[in-house]
Amino acid sequence: MKDRFGFDWTKLQGTPYWKKPQLERRMFFRHVASAVGGYMLLPGGPMEGVASAAVRTKGTAKNCIFIMMQGAPSHTDTFDLKPANGMPVEQFNPTKYNGVLFPQGLMPKLAEQFDSIVLVRSMRAWANVHGVMQSWVQMGRNPTTPLAKISPHVGSVVSMELAKKDGILPTFMALNGTPRVSAGFLPVANAPFLLTAGGGLPNTAHPDGAQRFATRKGLLDESESAAGALGALPEEIAEWKLRSQLLMYNSQVDRIFKLDQGDRSQYGLSGFGDACLTARNLLRANLGTRFIQITYGSWDHHANLYPTITTMGGIFDSGLARLLTDLKADGLLDETLIVAHGEFGRTVALNGNRGRDHFGQQAALFAGAGIKGGRAIGATDAVGAQTAEPGWSRERVIRTEDVEATIYSALGIDWTKLVKDNRFGKGFEYVPESGNDVYGPIHELWG
Amino acid sequence: MGGRAYLLAISAVVISVSVSLAQEKKVSVADCQFAATPDEFLTRSKRIRTDMFNRTQKLTSSVGRKVVPVVSADSLPQRNFIDQEILGKLLKQNVPSAPIASDEEFFRRINLDLTGRIPSAEEVRVFLADTNKDKRDTVIDKLLASPEFTNRWTMWLGDLLQNTATLANAAVNRAPQGRNAFYAYIKDSVATDKPLSKLAIEVISGSGNNYDPANGAANFPMGASTAMGPEQDTYDTMLAKTTATFLGISSYDCLLCHNGRGHLNLVSAWGTGQTRLGAQQMAAFFSRMALSPASSPAKSFNVTDASSGGYNLNTDSGNRPSRIPVGSISTITPTYRDYDGGPRNDNWRVAFAESMVADQMFRRNMANRLWQQMFGLGLVDPVDSLDPARLDPANPPPAPWELQATHPELLEKLAAELGKSEFRIRPFLKTLVQSTAYQMSSRYEGDWKEEYVSLFARHFARRMEAEEVHDAIAKSTAVLGDYAVQGSADRVIWAMQLPETVEPQSDTAVNNFLNVFLRGDRDTQGRSQSGSIQQQLTLMNDGFVGNRIKVGRSPKLRALVQMEKSEDLVDEMYLTFLSRMPTGTERSAGVAFLAKSTDRNSAVEDLAWMCINKTEFMFSY
Repeated sequence: MKDRFGFDWTKLQGTPYWKKPQLERRMFFRHVASAVGGYMLLPGGPMEGVASAAVRTKGTAKNCIFIMMQGAPSHTDTFDLKPANGMPVEQFNPTKYNGVLFPQGLMPKLAEQFDSIVLVRSMRAWANVHGVMQSWVQMGRNPTTPLAKISPHVGSVVSMELAKKDGILPTFMALNGTPRVSAGFLPVANAPFLLTAGGGLPNTAHPDGAQRFATRKGLLDESESAAGALGALPEEIAEWKLRSQLLMYNSQVDRIFKLDQGDRSQYGLSGFGDACLTARNLLRANLGTRFIQITYGSWDHHANLYPTITTMGGIFDSGLARLLTDLKADGLLDETLIVAHGEFGRTVALNGNRGRDHFGQQAALFAGAGIKGGRAIGATDAVGAQTAEPGWSRERVIRTEDVEATIYSALGIDWTKLVKDNRFGKGFEYVPESGNDVYGPIHELWG
Repeated sequence: MGGRAYLLAISAVVISVSVSLAQEKKVSVADCQFAATPDEFLTRSKRIRTDMFNRTQKLTSSVGRKVVPVVSADSLPQRNFIDQEILGKLLKQNVPSAPIASDEEFFRRINLDLTGRIPSAEEVRVFLADTNKDKRDTVIDKLLASPEFTNRWTMWLGDLLQNTATLANAAVNRAPQGRNAFYAYIKDSVATDKPLSKLAIEVISGSGNNYDPANGAANFPMGASTAMGPEQDTYDTMLAKTTATFLGISSYDCLLCHNGRGHLNLVSAWGTGQTRLGAQQMAAFFSRMALSPASSPAKSFNVTDASSGGYNLNTDSGNRPSRIPVGSISTITPTYRDYDGGPRNDNWRVAFAESMVADQMFRRNMANRLWQQMFGLGLVDPVDSLDPARLDPANPPPAPWELQATHPELLEKLAAELGKSEFRIRPFLKTLVQSTAYQMSSRYEGDWKEEYVSLFARHFARRMEAEEVHDAIAKSTAVLGDYAVQGSADRVIWAMQLPETVEPQSDTAVNNFLNVFLRGDRDTQGRSQSGSIQQQLTLMNDGFVGNRIKVGRSPKLRALVQMEKSEDLVDEMYLTFLSRMPTGTERSAGVAFLAKSTDRNSAVEDLAWMCINKTEFMFSY
């Protein structure tokens, strides 16, 4: 049934966002000292903040790697495995680890590290439209509401909170894909820094060589020391100039972004593997990056699911498993939360093209930050169509807002924080409705 | 307005309002994730000014250049009513003013502000040599009549009207063809100096197939399309976008979900008294509009109006709270906000637009937005936060509210002036840039204070827009662009001619270069004049710059290499890139560099690199 705009809304599954779980309303007006500026790409002015609830964050993580499985992977073939739906059992080799079924055949290396992983299976998307739900996941709120026009990416909020003035790399890096959302109303210093992994950090070497650069730089410095028409430089410009030169011909920086062939092989020689390897290098170098989004897709397998997902599952497996191994070896896994999921799930019955279509039920993978691995949280019915057991304290399905709150909590950020200073002059809650305790972190991940 | 005193006054009422907020909270705050905030709701406005202060405070002292100290405002000529207000207030508060800008400073600024293009070396020489005392007025007229003016203001209107091929959360989109049709419409409107009132009526009521160049205006309502909701969501989006754009009022986005009371108490004196029903009566003007897929061209849409129907209260689905019958009302009919006579035209969109352009808020908003473009700071800023109850100096709001504009009388006079100019951009801008207030220096050789920002005691230097950076490098090196844009056979030379801020899709390197300078996406990301480390790296090392300053590629650099006298070469270099003569020190440094170099070609390339990487290159100051 199409409306007069030619759009058939009945195909959209999911609930209008305000039909959300209503729990006891609590509203707190408590002022606290606000905010840390984002200083990477420019020194951001401090934002005015008003805290709401006094919450206890987990605070076990310093970093977050968010893997956006763009296009929406089939949950019943990956993190909520159901041999019932046409999955090639022999190839996928469903195997139980601690009683949790996992596709050992599809992801053998992750299977070996299952004790570091938690699968969240009671998760449900609000909408089944790629663009809308990808935005929703990345900003943690309904992207079609008024406030969404100015809403930042979760990573931008993290950047706002955790940026350090002495960090020389961007706090928020986006590898292999442009996030659907940017810094919103936050200072642009908190916008994702886009990079395709493997190609080095652009413009950190002079095209005419280091020697020519030195000549030119000398000429420029002499000229700028005797100020021109503008007068003396504003402090921030002087700072950007200085910092940009810190990134040039810097072997520490090059080691992060220029990838070693041996390392690349260990990560599976793929774009996704390169991104995982770059993420490892970024965290090892500890030069200021705190939030890394890796985009990998498309998982939008409407047709011929099995040959395609087998290849992609292998690439995902090689990259992520090696990342877990390396971070574990460095001791970095304990202070890094890893989250991987798509924007929604896929239908449990195969369609006529041996593919699966858009569906609300989905599943997510978590690792690191001291969470208690080797488990699943929540359970679905026999085919994976509905949540049968929420598996956490709120006793309802898990929403992307809850995942957002989990990321903030892991990083020690008060997810109920209310900041102002936006275009509407109104409050912006980090996690919508968290002041009313409607959404909140999945602390069950920590056991 | 004394910012600090104002904040104090506000915080005094915060406590009592917070209590009432808490009591009213249960109404519908949950519905759109808004929690009305307690005090300091002015932070955005304050921060804009603080940022401006931080950006300008160091631009004072100088070495090696002639310094003109600040002056008393009564020593400056009052050229029109703007100066009466700006200089008058400076005088009244005994705040020294920056002196009049030098010819070099003025000439580069007026070129960039009106046309987005830096002047050529020859143009600078001619202007500096001109002894006619009216030469500034002459150049203003010339620039207003130039094709570059049309490009620059087409870009500005394209931003304002959010002309994009796709929007992040729309159900249907214009596509490149619709966007190009809209671009052509906007460009033609600027070229012919179409009154803004006429443009507003045309775009609000635009209809027909959106790909058809004859119906370019139909692409404005296309931007109202809203995903994941019933048709009422689209009417609401149309109202929210239209009022933010043309009236400078953002509060309708809030009011379409809930009444103002309890939500806007601290944000808008006007909004507090508004109701959701009133906002829906405004949105009802759009309830006969339909965006339907056309049979051809494929993927195009027809924008049409039905002859009957209204805003139905018949759904609990969508992106805003339920629209369900209120008492006996199940269909809302249109009422314009302060006019209770019902629709003035059978076509409800035309009726809305005609009421809107007669609304004083339309004049105030357009005048304030144009002022912001020329002066770097709106009389009310942010410019989309106008509060209708706090703008009329003859009818001030009750305490603790204060008038919103820094110069309330001036805003009213500007609004009247815009009406007198028949809503045409060119004569209005001419009035602005002829004023002494506009022609002040951006240098302030005195004690610069944050409270002087709102007094416009100096001109505010601004970083060039992305397109201006591109075009300045292209023009100074004479290495011009040649870009294909999606859905069009026309090639584009200057970045300021691009139809949208995601083009040219055909040239990733150029596209990336432009994005580094934060041109925004006209949708979820606004333009920004912030600088960044990435911008510095790009100017120093990116191939976009590096390739254009090669003597082998740049006709301008080849001409420079041919110049016999090094002094002349350095002068021409400075005029070309920086629109000014070098100081004595700069000239001798350049000459010395050329003298010790063994390869004149590479020395000229190095000097060009230096000019582009000098901070002033990036600024209109």
